[in-house]
Amino acid sequence: MIGLSEHPAATRPSTIGSIGRPRLVRGIGAADLTAYAAHLAVHGPLPQPGRAELLAMLDAAALSGRGGAGFPLANKIAALRPGGRPVVVVNGAEGEPASAKDGTLLRCTPHLVLDGAAVAAGAVGARRVLVAVTDPATAAVLRMSLNSRPDRSWFEVREVADTFIVGEARTLIEALNGAAALPPGRRVLPTDRGVGGQPTVLSNAETFAQLGLLARIGAREFSAVGTPTEPGTVLLTVSGAVAKPGVLEINYGTPLGALAAAVDAGPSQAVVVGGYHGTWLPADPAIELSRAGLAPFGATMGAGAVIFVGEHTCGLAELARVTRWLAEQSTRRCGPCAFGLPALAADVEAIAAGRADPAVAERHARLVTGRGACAHPDGAVRFVRSGLAVLADEVGTHRAYGGCRRSDAGHLSSPGGLE
Amino acid sequence: MSAQLRIDWTRCDGHGLCAALLPRTIKQDEWGYPIIDQTRAGIESAAALKRAVGACPALALRFGDH
Repeated sequence: MIGLSEHPAATRPSTIGSIGRPRLVRGIGAADLTAYAAHLAVHGPLPQPGRAELLAMLDAAALSGRGGAGFPLANKIAALRPGGRPVVVVNGAEGEPASAKDGTLLRCTPHLVLDGAAVAAGAVGARRVLVAVTDPATAAVLRMSLNSRPDRSWFEVREVADTFIVGEARTLIEALNGAAALPPGRRVLPTDRGVGGQPTVLSNAETFAQLGLLARIGAREFSAVGTPTEPGTVLLTVSGAVAKPGVLEINYGTPLGALAAAVDAGPSQAVVVGGYHGTWLPADPAIELSRAGLAPFGATMGAGAVIFVGEHTCGLAELARVTRWLAEQSTRRCGPCAFGLPALAADVEAIAAGRADPAVAERHARLVTGRGACAHPDGAVRFVRSGLAVLADEVGTHRAYGGCRRSDAGHLSSPGGLE
Repeated sequence: MSAQLRIDWTRCDGHGLCAALLPRTIKQDEWGYPIIDQTRAGIESAAALKRAVGACPALALRFGDH
């Protein structure tokens, strides 16, 4: 079953729906779920499990973080430093330009996210929950929604600067602590010293929405869909050469072909999974959207952004434009990233112009990899390497003829526009 | 994991003293930032490693497990 509903509250994307039975997106479009009573009418009352019960439930459901790293939530909670006054952080700072699912959740079904955060806070004895967002409109919806919650005194909505890097967990903690939104040099675990130096459980907004659901339906029903190792659903933000871009909830393991059909994708030369720190894949309809299905390609779901690169655009020009954008997103704190990514962007531009071979880019890719304080340089390199590999035939065409007679159609969106 | 030479990339400014002091183990990339060959760090004496760590003007070089 494919359900796609138009929803006026979301400026981007245009549609919110599901392939299979809706869980997180249930009720969106049919009711105003920012009202707590309407939310409870759709999802039912919220149980409060204790710490041991919650950990067992999270283990049984194998609930993993939905921000990109995919770290099990149970491990974060189990790793919380004893003592102190624990803090829960909902990461709604969606720096990834191809991702809109967290903002969509926070604006369209905010209480499900807040429920999950409340469950985590209740189980670990936290009485402070920070909800970090970058968009003032989303912050306004959250503040309004909180008014109707009995546990509203726990929550604080915080607006942080909208940069690509701020979504990274440790950088977000720095920003919440009042420091510049830059990746810290030394590896400090938020579970040990996070917000205000207190033990902190930080996860992505969708992770908490999944927990809000799991606490209600239990691990068994939660695991009724998805794959044995990756139970449940996941939210995707689908864009590119598709007739129905939007946020789609799918069961883990859904084939790429089923997703393409649901969003009415045209013929595609490639698909980018995981956003701009993600991986270019061949447009093979049999690829299963799951950790196991993507592992052979060295790919992960990342934050769930999926971009169809159609046949009527120059894939290399798109790759070059986004690589330049990634270089500009460097906070310039670490030398190899500050200098290496612009060099890499120039390489990809030269390759797109037919003036260079991929070996040139590979040399700079190696110099950037693993030489920074955050995940940005490695993510950017993964994006470039996989793009050049999937577009290998295009690289040959550009080298031979100086181009491919197609221009950049902007299937990969970037905030800076197409120039 | 055995102890390794590590760089705090947020501090390193590519001054190059580490590469000058440990030329067999540390090379510089085209922008001057150190490239460490961890397999060769073992051939350096403890005193030489300590000297390089102490010489870094940005306090970016460390020797240890993390």
